[in-house]
Amino acid sequence: MVTLGIFSAFTPQNVMYLLGGLGITVGVSIISVILSLIFGSVVGIIQFERLPYFSKFVGTINNVIRNLPLLLIIFFVYFALPKIGIHLPIFWATVVAMSTFESAMLAEIVRGGLESIDIGQFEGARANGLSNMQTMIYIILPQAYKKMIPPIISQLISLVKDTSLAMGIVLAEMTYRSQIIYAQNSTYIIPVLVAITLVYFVLNYGLSLIARWADHKLA
Amino acid sequence: MSMIEFKNVEKYYGNFHALKNINLKIDEGETVVLIGPSGSGKSTLIRTVNGLEEIQEGQLLVNGFDLHDPKTDMNRIRKNVGMVFQHFNLYNNKSTIENVMLAPRLVLKRDEAENKREAMALLEKVGLADKAANMPSELSGGQKQRAAIARSLAMKPKALLFDEPTSALDPEMIGDVLDVMRDIAKDSSMTMLVVTHEMSFAKAVADRVIFMADGEILEDSSTKEFFENPKEERAKQFLSQVADH
Repeated sequence: MVTLGIFSAFTPQNVMYLLGGLGITVGVSIISVILSLIFGSVVGIIQFERLPYFSKFVGTINNVIRNLPLLLIIFFVYFALPKIGIHLPIFWATVVAMSTFESAMLAEIVRGGLESIDIGQFEGARANGLSNMQTMIYIILPQAYKKMIPPIISQLISLVKDTSLAMGIVLAEMTYRSQIIYAQNSTYIIPVLVAITLVYFVLNYGLSLIARWADHKLA
Repeated sequence: MSMIEFKNVEKYYGNFHALKNINLKIDEGETVVLIGPSGSGKSTLIRTVNGLEEIQEGQLLVNGFDLHDPKTDMNRIRKNVGMVFQHFNLYNNKSTIENVMLAPRLVLKRDEAENKREAMALLEKVGLADKAANMPSELSGGQKQRAAIARSLAMKPKALLFDEPTSALDPEMIGDVLDVMRDIAKDSSMTMLVVTHEMSFAKAVADRVIFMADGEILEDSSTKEFFENPKEERAKQFLSQVADH
């Protein structure tokens, strides 16, 4: 009976267990969002600046990463790196894999955003005496980020969703824990999946509301 | 002392020879107008003076520094050489007064109160005091260009470059911008190099006129001489064409 499942699936113990998973999901997401925003911006700017050799090199690595499945990168960091002596706890292995992949995705958005800025903005600033760095910080990046907010947020939403891939290395995040719970009793499947569906929806819809607010506020 | 000096300067875009053996000397305080048909290299020439375009051969001395020398610090040149563009290039993310105040604050480390006072005085001078808080998108073309001129002046440059400053403006906006430029030209210490199609402005303000065609300087004469008695056939032809308008 499904109705029976609804009541018995959410014992205090199961709810706490799921919330713990939510904590891990949110933890991985927040740290990965921050890291990938930083590294994605740096990589995007390096590609945009067209530095001899270096930009090409970074661009090539970026291209390779973007064209791999995220799950493969997670496996790489968690299973392959220890073979060459780099041991990461499962939480941090997930963070490193997610941040690597999302940085590459965000770098493309940042590069595209920078390229959408009129060359006149650079020339005006450079002719006005600003250094290259000052031009980027005060003139170009603020204008570019304004344009980049919607694609960046949609990328961050997929980051939050993709944390569930870490169940592939048995990280006890929310989706994995829900599986543990409904494995106890098949009547739990629907209520538990519906519950985590709602949680993911609220998380990501919240993000898109922030995006809409920021877009409206800055536009 | 010469403020800007070209010595045998050559500029290429790939195979295209954009500037051919340019030799030109502009003294401190001089107002020089650069004219010629489109594609003649006027804009390219003026853009080499603050390093927006690189030269491939020759020497280009600005305020005593050689721009072709890789050791020359371009930021230092640009501190002393302002530029006004055809399409204004105001900072779209900054208000009018912030456009004027930004470079003095960042580059010259000018005291904030003094910076604001000077910026307001400049906006007053170009007739935009009431637009100080507006964003560039809220200004008309003529107002944008006057704001851009105020932005350049705020750096107290020794030289100002104008790259077709009125070409993108509606006809009724041109007069105000030219008035502001005339005012600046009256300042005897300011060196001005102006690319323009406004012949009346050239006649009234320029000390000298340079005529270019196909990447070469064909004529370099005093204003009076150029308009009354042009030597080159191409210059005569050009003047008769623009005179119709």
